[in-house]
Amino acid sequence: MMIPVRCFTCGNVVGEHWDEFKSRAREGDEDPAAVLDELGVERHCCRRMMVAHKDLVDVVAPYQ
Amino acid sequence: MAEDFEVEFIEREDRKARFLVRGMTPAVANGIRRAMVADVPTFSVDTVRFVENSSVMFDEMIGLRLGLVPLTTPLDDFEEGDVVTLALDVEGPATAYSGDIESSDELVQPAELNVPIIELKEGQRLQLEADAVLGSGKAHAKHQGGVAVGYRHLHRVEVVGDANEFEEQEPNILRGVIEEAAAEHAADESAEDGALVPTSEFDNDLTKRYPGKDVEVHDVPGAFVFHVETDGSFTVEELVRRAVESISDRAAELEEKVAI
Repeated sequence: MMIPVRCFTCGNVVGEHWDEFKSRAREGDEDPAAVLDELGVERHCCRRMMVAHKDLVDVVAPYQ
Repeated sequence: MAEDFEVEFIEREDRKARFLVRGMTPAVANGIRRAMVADVPTFSVDTVRFVENSSVMFDEMIGLRLGLVPLTTPLDDFEEGDVVTLALDVEGPATAYSGDIESSDELVQPAELNVPIIELKEGQRLQLEADAVLGSGKAHAKHQGGVAVGYRHLHRVEVVGDANEFEEQEPNILRGVIEEAAAEHAADESAEDGALVPTSEFDNDLTKRYPGKDVEVHDVPGAFVFHVETDGSFTVEELVRRAVESISDRAAELEEKVAI
């Protein structure tokens, strides 16, 4: 639904980078790997949190 | 222990550090690692009182997300069990961020200001009051100050001969930190014997460091390379100091209790 606050595996805080990652790599056309490197999300456990995430608030909102 | 440890930093930032400790047994190294994870307390939201929550998430889910937000923890000024009250009030359309959390104590603030808590649509509102408690990682993982805390042996790489020159060399992957022992064979010309080199400098591949050579890797006895990160509650230095302190306090207590 919302980006998890921390990485499930290592506990590193990843939520803070979501907005920037989303605007640059999802909506923009930058390379996700390069954006994650720049944001300092270096372990692959944390990287998958960002790469595999889908925001669902907009999908759920009408049924509230 | 009669001997002192010898500590040398390899990388040092506020929230992330790598350092070498010599003169340590594996038991002590692991004790310090465990103390960093489970014994150094941090503030974390523990109880939430919702005034209004018309967002798409249930109270419990928001409570969980609040609990995971790291809060700055000045350990000199607080004791385990202390409570600080936080408040959050955001009206949609907007996203509630951790930076919107207001704290009753200026020493205890969200360490990250940009963590989205919940996206609010038109007419939705999130208003709550939360109690942050200073607790240790033993009680709940949200109180862990250390993130991805670990250690490895320091490696010593020795060149034992030449590789077969007619065969393609297979990558020889090694992670951690090496103590340079064959500087004359290293690809890097500024190499010096005894220098500490993180393997990431040569893509974790020993064949890039010592091209055309056969190498043997040995652990250096009693030398451990710690990799420590914190979630932002305090600096790495504070975390390590507190962890060591907690071990030495407990050791002193044990000594006293078993004394005749």
